[in-house]
Amino acid sequence: MTEKDFDVVVIGGGPAGMAAALEALKSVKKVAIVERNDELGGILNQCIHSGFGLQYFNEELTGPEYAQRFIDRVGDSEIEVFLNTMVLEIKDKTVIAMNEEGILKLKAKAIVLAMGCRERTRGQIRIPGTRPAGVLTAGLAQRYTNLENLKPGNRVVILGSGDIGLIMARRLKLEGLNVLSVYEIMPYANGLFRNIKNCLDDFDIPLHLSTTVTKVIGSKRLQAVEVSAVDDNLEPIPGTEEIIPCDTLLLSVGLIPENEVSKTAGVDLSKITGGPVVSNDLQTSEEGIFACGNVLHVHDLVDHVTREAEEAGRNAARYALGETSESTTQIPVEASGPVRYVLPSTITNTDEKVELKFRVGSPIEKGKVTVYLNDEPVYEGREKEFVPSIMETVTLSPEKLSDGKLRVEVK
Amino acid sequence: MKYDVVIIGGGITGTAIAHELAKYDLKTVLLEKGPDVATATTKQNGGVIHPGYDPHPGTLKALLNPKGARMYPKLAEDLGFHIRPTGTLVVAYSDEDLKTVDRLLENAKINGVEGVVKLNSQELHELEPHINPEAKGALYAKTTTMVDPFEVAVAFMENAVENGVELQLNEQVRGIEKNGEQDFTVRTENNEYPTRFIVDAAGIHADDVAKMAGIEEYQIKGRHGNLAVLDKNVPIKTVMFPCPSPDTKGIALIPTVSGNFLIGSTATMRDDKQDVTNDKVGVEELIEGAKLLIPEFDPSSIIRTFAGQRPVALDNDNDFYIKESPTQKGFIHAAGIQSPGIASAPAIAEYVASLLEEAGLELKKKENYNPYRKAPTDFSELSHEEQDRLIKEDSRWGKIVCRCETVPEMEIIEAINRPNGARTVDGVKRRTRAGMGRCQSGFCQSRVVDILSRELGIPADEVRLEEDQSKIFSGKVKEL
Repeated sequence: MTEKDFDVVVIGGGPAGMAAALEALKSVKKVAIVERNDELGGILNQCIHSGFGLQYFNEELTGPEYAQRFIDRVGDSEIEVFLNTMVLEIKDKTVIAMNEEGILKLKAKAIVLAMGCRERTRGQIRIPGTRPAGVLTAGLAQRYTNLENLKPGNRVVILGSGDIGLIMARRLKLEGLNVLSVYEIMPYANGLFRNIKNCLDDFDIPLHLSTTVTKVIGSKRLQAVEVSAVDDNLEPIPGTEEIIPCDTLLLSVGLIPENEVSKTAGVDLSKITGGPVVSNDLQTSEEGIFACGNVLHVHDLVDHVTREAEEAGRNAARYALGETSESTTQIPVEASGPVRYVLPSTITNTDEKVELKFRVGSPIEKGKVTVYLNDEPVYEGREKEFVPSIMETVTLSPEKLSDGKLRVEVK
Repeated sequence: MKYDVVIIGGGITGTAIAHELAKYDLKTVLLEKGPDVATATTKQNGGVIHPGYDPHPGTLKALLNPKGARMYPKLAEDLGFHIRPTGTLVVAYSDEDLKTVDRLLENAKINGVEGVVKLNSQELHELEPHINPEAKGALYAKTTTMVDPFEVAVAFMENAVENGVELQLNEQVRGIEKNGEQDFTVRTENNEYPTRFIVDAAGIHADDVAKMAGIEEYQIKGRHGNLAVLDKNVPIKTVMFPCPSPDTKGIALIPTVSGNFLIGSTATMRDDKQDVTNDKVGVEELIEGAKLLIPEFDPSSIIRTFAGQRPVALDNDNDFYIKESPTQKGFIHAAGIQSPGIASAPAIAEYVASLLEEAGLELKKKENYNPYRKAPTDFSELSHEEQDRLIKEDSRWGKIVCRCETVPEMEIIEAINRPNGARTVDGVKRRTRAGMGRCQSGFCQSRVVDILSRELGIPADEVRLEEDQSKIFSGKVKEL
């Protein structure tokens, strides 16, 4: 068994992991990235469409281009990269992993969790019917189409208006497949506005809101799906069933932070985001273990992932150097009303300005965010539109914070 | 060249019979219409080895279930399949339920099942702290074990094949002719199988097969059931049932051999034998059933729902229908194998062998019979030291294909290259668990396709999920 010591070990070599490792390397010498795939870049490698980097690089890049910029930086650095390496568990600040050479034990002063997320599947949303070939997640279809040169089918229905589903609607149409329509159970679209416009509207692919797939039909290969309109409680309305003949059903019905490894380390997880509960230095409930990117909460833009990861990398390095002092502050932060979640869940460091990230649970045409400290408003935003697909941020200056409880509300 | 026995159907019953007959000097073939064994009722099953407190005394079930259940631990050792002792609770919520518990206790005694006791409310809650606080007590059967039904069927078949039984997949029986005493011809689309005896273990279609031989002694109808697979996060260690109704054991929470859990199953009779669709109402019933047992049950732990049909022989007191046909000598029915079919299978197999002997088949022990099967290596169960040693022997052990279940490439290659190896994505899944976890093959399917394509020497776009028509791809995106 190989044993090695590091200051910071980053789990995951996607955009979050690479940015965290690069930032950590600015302060400490021994940094490692553990990546289960045979290359760095994570899911960006199969996202061959453009739209990445507008905020971070001020230019529009494809997924592989965005990834490559970081892959090059990692390649030029002293970061030790373990490819084709799967983490099995974290035990006492040691990352136990395996690859084709054997079992590795990577002892770390600090660990950054950057494992990303996985797609929600048919099983989890419990679509009734049979279980034929031809029902797959949009991300898997993207991998087959863009990386493996395998065509997932001919007549395609897409359930869910998440961004990957919208991107794949356009992608498959461009490859000559018959993309029939996109169905969304909610009364609003879940993806970014620009993707609705660029991927559906421009290609005449209809989007049906408040409609869902209520049955999968076909015993061997998919033959059709039954779709139904849903009521305000998202329950199918009897009598509205329609049979849509198709051989492929793509699912773009949400993403789940991939925290199986975090659980082995005893990290507390949020029931709402599925990611670790963190303080404002992105430290989890386990001291010295930090989290960033989609493993923490699902992001809409990779640019935000990169920035968050840089912060996690910086804080992990600081922790590895022993530069963090025992914090005396403990300000809990909670979401209220239409705000679904706020990150972080506690503020422990008030030396610098504090950024709160939040998302609403359903669209609000005109609303205003207010942050309360013990019921006293300490921040008030301008009136604007809030949608679940866009993450919002509020920056608080430290002098506004004192002992008590913070609450984020949109009215 | 004439067969001694043609077994029709490669489910748990057929494969157990093949395993049993493999011990004797016989020429035996098993015909299965699907592309693999255990692709119908057997794979749509909870895998509980019921110890036998349930069947009514005097029935075939009461004879074969306790006996079969007692055979499992030894079989698991010899054939290298997983077995997990869990025990069963039959939970009582009312005084009437407590009477049922007493009746089951009495049944257990008559059926000769040991280790069955009655728990009071306090003992029950000590054993399973998360159980419904309103539970008044329970029957506790300590000897219940869990198996993975596909793994058992695959193990039975592999051992049978290694001992000379022939296996023919994708061979659907189309006709049966009786030519004379101990002389049948079984026809499939492309082949003929002359034989002295026939064992009909065709599950839900057993009556259809019997009809081909002119036998109309019984009728099979399907009892449809929804099931749900849960992630590895349910706080129980014992199989839990509510008190049974006349038709069903009720909706149970089941810890499986893999560390996942199942909820199963609903029970409604269906006319269409092919209908394995699962329905919303049924799944809601499962969730309610789970909550009745464990009120804190969280439906978001469901990772897959599915459905199956159990073959019920009508007008047969809910019992198995196992006998030689009185009208067609040499034709043995192994039919109506509903619950507890998995638990009973090894005993059914011995019983069928004895029926064959009575019908005139000479059972002479094979000299070079090998009762053992070398179990495939389950990487995820090894210690880190053992894993390290394996990887150093062959680096393909170090390449993880399925992240949810920690299945390395070599485990998949071995599953493909064993006797009766995996040929399809689902075949790999059933043998290695790759694709069974919480991501439901989102990560590993493309990698499994790649390995199947390489090992079988077929283009990736021709790899199938299961049957010939269940193609995963409609070709290549671009011809390069």
